[in-house]
Amino acid sequence: MSLIAVLIGGALGTGLRLLVDLGLPHGGVAFPIGTLLVNVVGSFVLAVLVARVWPAVPVWLRAGLGPGLLGSFTTFSALAISAVELTSLGAGWMAALYVVVSLAGGLAAAALGLKFGRQPTPIGPNE
Amino acid sequence: MTALLVTVVLVAGALGALARYLVTRNPARSPWTVLIVNVAGSLIAGLAVGLTGAGVLPVEARLALVTGFAGGLTTFSTLSVETVQLFLTNRWRSAVASMAANLILGLTASALGWLIGLALFG
Repeated sequence: MSLIAVLIGGALGTGLRLLVDLGLPHGGVAFPIGTLLVNVVGSFVLAVLVARVWPAVPVWLRAGLGPGLLGSFTTFSALAISAVELTSLGAGWMAALYVVVSLAGGLAAAALGLKFGRQPTPIGPNE
Repeated sequence: MTALLVTVVLVAGALGALARYLVTRNPARSPWTVLIVNVAGSLIAGLAVGLTGAGVLPVEARLALVTGFAGGLTTFSTLSVETVQLFLTNRWRSAVASMAANLILGLTASALGWLIGLALFG
């Protein structure tokens, strides 16, 4: 069940990332804004899910949403190869900026998401 | 983009995600298992870009391998969330080491794959 959920989530996450790639295309010496957006948004959403949703849902749904959907929506290989391509085109400064902004943005988004996910709900069952 | 190519990219992404899940699913695992899939995927993406640059692979294969398989195999969100969780539980040494290893080994794997792809057939 979990394996099927991961496959479906993986296809959906890849499809969403492909849509962002097509909507915000980049090539040559251009800042890969699409991948940056995907990685920051995906880190925030996964963190909220981990903090808020995970305790309440079955294992297969966690597998489909976490490793499946968000795991494949976000990408590390695109970050690595874009940084290498930018450097090979003489834009090492842009590659360095891209890597630093991705890391800082991803970590900040994950920290915010965990904090946001742990906020008590305004109208909770125990209030 | 044809419907067939979109399907191939989605299936490749799903298979990448499945492979990542099988490697990283043990809940008691260390953060280092994410490093394995990220470095492997970065190497594959580098090779695919190099081989496309050398004219060996068509652009469609690059899309299936880089956006599809390697994109699905690697992850950024799990890395971010796990690193922040390490910081929050005062394991900052592991957090810094894991992030540094992903960056250094991932970028090196991509560069090596790209150079190998270009050199073998370029």
